[in-house]
Amino acid sequence: MQFAWDAEQQRFRSTVRAFLATNLPRDWEALAHGPGSGAQSAFSKRFCAQLAQAGLLVPHWPKRWGGRDAGAWTAFILAEEMWEAGEPRGGQYMNVNWIGPTLMRFGSEAQQARYIPPMARGETIWCQGFSEPEAGSDLASLRTRAEKHGSSYRINGQKIWTSYAAHADTCFLLARTAPGRDGISVFLVPMDTPGIIVREIPSLIGEGDIHEVFWDDVEVSQSALLGAEGQAWEIARTALSLERVGIPRFALATKMLHRAVSMLQRAGRFGHGAIEQAARARAACEAARFYSYSIVDQRQHGIAPGPEASAARFATVTAERLVGEFVAEHVPEALSGAEPMLLAHHQRAIVAGIASGAAEIQLNLIASELLRLPREPR
Amino acid sequence: MDFRLTADQSALVEALDKLAARFEAKPTAFRGFALVSHELEEELAEGEYFDIAQVPELGALSAAMAVERLARLPCTAEIALSLLVRPQLSGEWPRPLAVVEDGRPGRFVASAGTILVIEGGDVGLVRPAAEEVQPVESLFAYPMGRLRDGTRATPLSADEAANIGKWLRVALAAEASGLLQAAVASAVEHLTVRKQFGRPLGTFQALRHRMAECAVLAGGVRWLALKAADTQDPGDAALAALHAQESATRIIYDVHQMLGAMGMTLEHPLHLWTYRLKAILSELGGRGGQARAVAAQCFGET
Repeated sequence: MQFAWDAEQQRFRSTVRAFLATNLPRDWEALAHGPGSGAQSAFSKRFCAQLAQAGLLVPHWPKRWGGRDAGAWTAFILAEEMWEAGEPRGGQYMNVNWIGPTLMRFGSEAQQARYIPPMARGETIWCQGFSEPEAGSDLASLRTRAEKHGSSYRINGQKIWTSYAAHADTCFLLARTAPGRDGISVFLVPMDTPGIIVREIPSLIGEGDIHEVFWDDVEVSQSALLGAEGQAWEIARTALSLERVGIPRFALATKMLHRAVSMLQRAGRFGHGAIEQAARARAACEAARFYSYSIVDQRQHGIAPGPEASAARFATVTAERLVGEFVAEHVPEALSGAEPMLLAHHQRAIVAGIASGAAEIQLNLIASELLRLPREPR
Repeated sequence: MDFRLTADQSALVEALDKLAARFEAKPTAFRGFALVSHELEEELAEGEYFDIAQVPELGALSAAMAVERLARLPCTAEIALSLLVRPQLSGEWPRPLAVVEDGRPGRFVASAGTILVIEGGDVGLVRPAAEEVQPVESLFAYPMGRLRDGTRATPLSADEAANIGKWLRVALAAEASGLLQAAVASAVEHLTVRKQFGRPLGTFQALRHRMAECAVLAGGVRWLALKAADTQDPGDAALAALHAQESATRIIYDVHQMLGAMGMTLEHPLHLWTYRLKAILSELGGRGGQARAVAAQCFGET
């Protein structure tokens, strides 16, 4: 066991940092506000194309799909640096982390040929059609139907809280083809298919982040089905295992905490109360970082991630919360226009305990699978 | 970054598990606070475990792993300072080690070969004569003792004192990590077997979530303690000690709530871990002291 970065890891991080220093525009921090906004979506396509050209978009993908088979550490260092910079890849982080790899595993040759190369070139945005008004944490109760009519499917229903939907080219959609958990299927649906209506929901998170998406007699051919009918749960489990660590939120949280502290120090306002709160938040960020690293290390060595991944997620949620609370209490001017990046971080941190599975679901998993407490009666 | 154990670390962990297995059970007749095992101490000395940090293949990280593992036992002995702090002292300073902070009673003071005396920012060393120390009754589950006022200490330089302060923080975090894991495991065991309302307590979500949060905190302390032992960075040491005291404050309360009245009895071993943690809460300036160290090391605060 050792906690130092090896030479290759250090070199890779430096390369990514140098790329960011060269390619992020001077006004990037103002643009970072609104993760799914039109401006950021357009920027992400230019930026990801540049990343791809530099070999920094999908280095962890197989050579066949434009990567270089780099390991889990490379993928995570990349993710850390991008998130710390305010995630200039926008929604495309999902493509490189789990949508692409999931298609590599379950997609037909035609689906792979159609969808993977544009992802590897950094020129396409996806959204995930999972949550519904009646199916949030209880995802298996989703109602959106895909009914077979001859050689095509007709999709009807509603999705909600969908990030990036307004500018997405394709949706990774979960829809019901039969009753029960094993009756859910995955469809890859171009967002310009007639019958899809996207409406933005103004939110605390910032411009263009969440939407409701209505599916009104949306007709797709059989070729839109990913894998087999009813295979969604297996596919989702694979996707989840690729995304177990989640976003390295602790990276931006740490950076923003330091920025907030610097503002206080310059203003002569870093007193005892603030010092104690900042130190606690800093320790929580560090705990989240090394919890997450432990999961990355497992993946690097071919060990299937266990329930510790849920603990890493919860530790991250705690760190985000403590930094958010610190900023709101001690640097309130940041939320009133004084510091756009602190504001953007604060807005993104709001969803840390909600997006990709509520924090309380993680606690359930930790109780059952890590502590092995007896399960709740159903 | 590589979290796999080396062959030497694996061998150490295996040997420690084997050694610890003989000390896992609380003696059923014991109804006190400080369950000290001289037998454990002798075995560790005989097996040269107190020298782990100086073995090049093992080092301070392995020593921290050993401290953490042994802190999970119901019995205790002065282990953490001997493994992690004593190697930093120049000259012959016999173990066991103890710390006296601002004249207050400290752990293992009455049996210490060497006492580190902390007064404000100054650190000095004492080889106490028998009449200079005396045991004191305490609620803490360590043998607590007092050093006679006015005992003269050999002062350390500011640099030496800072280094010792750093390693005291690493030792505190590593020991707390083991204690927290044991306290959480003890509560989990209770929640698994104890039934109320016709079902195990561990099936109630209100309790499951609290225990899950405790487990996350305890795991975080472990990572920060091991990291600090490996990097030997003063900022990492301060973060680890702060997270340990912060997490202990929360976990002590929660695990006692889980145990209810059973946790109040001296028959149950829970207090052996929680009342050791309570002793650790105030050390090295408590959370405020660690926070000031974090501010100095991580935020450049002068």
